[in-house]
Amino acid sequence: MNHLLNLGRFLVALSWTNLKSALALRGSFWLQVAFMILNNLTYFVFWWVLFARIPTLRGYGLREVYALFGTSAAGFGFVYAMAGGVRHLGRFIDEGELDPLLVQPKPTLLYALGSRSQPSGWGDAISGLVFLGLSGYARLDNLPLVLLALACSAATFLGAGVVFFSLAFWLRKTDMLSRHLWELLITFSLYPEPLFGGALRLVLFTALPVAFISYLPVRVLRDEKLVDALTLCGGAASVLVAGAWLFTRGLRRYSSGSRFGVFG
Amino acid sequence: MRFLGKYWAFARIAARHALSERGELYGRMAFFAVVLGVFSALWRAVAEAGMPIATEPGRLVWYLAATEWIVLSVPQLHVEIQEDVRRGDIAYHLPRPVSYVGSMLAQAAGTLSVRLPIMALTACVCAYLFTGRAPPLAALLTFAVFAVAATLLASALYVGIGLLAFWLSDVSPIYWVVQKALFVLGGMMLPLELYPRWLQSVAHFTPFPALLAGPAQLVLRASAPGEVLVLAARLGAWSVFVAMLLWFVFRRASRSLQVSGG
Repeated sequence: MNHLLNLGRFLVALSWTNLKSALALRGSFWLQVAFMILNNLTYFVFWWVLFARIPTLRGYGLREVYALFGTSAAGFGFVYAMAGGVRHLGRFIDEGELDPLLVQPKPTLLYALGSRSQPSGWGDAISGLVFLGLSGYARLDNLPLVLLALACSAATFLGAGVVFFSLAFWLRKTDMLSRHLWELLITFSLYPEPLFGGALRLVLFTALPVAFISYLPVRVLRDEKLVDALTLCGGAASVLVAGAWLFTRGLRRYSSGSRFGVFG
Repeated sequence: MRFLGKYWAFARIAARHALSERGELYGRMAFFAVVLGVFSALWRAVAEAGMPIATEPGRLVWYLAATEWIVLSVPQLHVEIQEDVRRGDIAYHLPRPVSYVGSMLAQAAGTLSVRLPIMALTACVCAYLFTGRAPPLAALLTFAVFAVAATLLASALYVGIGLLAFWLSDVSPIYWVVQKALFVLGGMMLPLELYPRWLQSVAHFTPFPALLAGPAQLVLRASAPGEVLVLAARLGAWSVFVAMLLWFVFRRASRSLQVSGG
């Protein structure tokens, strides 16, 4: 229990340090946040124009698309802002940059994830929360469900990211492949679930776990069914555990780099 | 001829470089295929609710294939120019007996000579597989001519954004704004006729419709020769405007470098 509490305190401290480091260059921070919000608004022009002409798309209306985009953008944004190192894991592994992290007292993965923070992630998180609010599915009376949906979305993004970028332990030079898999995750998470059927649907619930990023969170917020909430929790936790397990297994194969570097 | 030879060398090196970056090319192709797959599913679903435009879903997939072909082929030269300015390498480029802007445009042409055919193949194969139909060959060929001109003009725009690095430490925000304006006002995902009237009017005061929606309309529906001529005139006029802008901005930039130092 004490160990878990310590780990929790460490995660809070790491997140706080990340936020402070991002805010150190205040002008650049707010510029990146503002442009990411603008970027996300641009994406929405398509849906605004489309839903001005059709009422629904296989059961999805503008409210559902707001919720879809909101959970996905907020989940991604929190990961990118607080655990931005996930996108650099492949390079860390390939170029022996994990060396200084191996001798730290807490789990290596946590240091690696928390070693980078992207200010634009805050822009995604803010715009995601705004879109969730616009959907009308995020209210004060269902706040626990909203928090659950966001936590599961972020956990899935993080877990899947760790899985994709940990491939470098076995395959080497996989940074480009991992980045494309990560981008596929983002792309599919932004389009309504009923568009995809057949084998692709199976892929979106397993190998490319988009379902736990935005599809199930939207269902949980809209239908408020216990079975959906449990499936979402189980799915997101599985992806996160798979990521941590794969990284730990991969670490046994990790070979050190010859580059001199310091951490801190 | 020797004058052109220098720029030919720049283009050739850029083409070889683009060919050597296999991962980048495969990544673009995969992304292109996924986007077309997603949108073919999307337009099929839209058709069930009633098409908002008098055309078939398949044609809108080809429209997207056309706009994305242009967008995904254009090299992001502003990053290279910004790095040249930031590292001070620009000081070595300026005294050379070649125009810096000209060399950048030649590099763009070289990169495009590799990317355009590969992305065209991806676009045609994927769009055909997803829709089971293809636009008339004549429409595709006419579009291809305009698309090549549009990619060159878009490259020149990005060179212009890169030149702003002489005054700004980071030109990425300017690039993002221009890129988003290109996506929205250029009608990348939707034909402009679906937009509200006021947004269509705003778009027509910018070069973006001539870069994307204009050429892509050629694969969406049969265009009258008059419309094709108007598009050619628009592209020509914007090319002249951007060329003059590049000349003016580069002149000011190099003067500021000579006065203030690198």
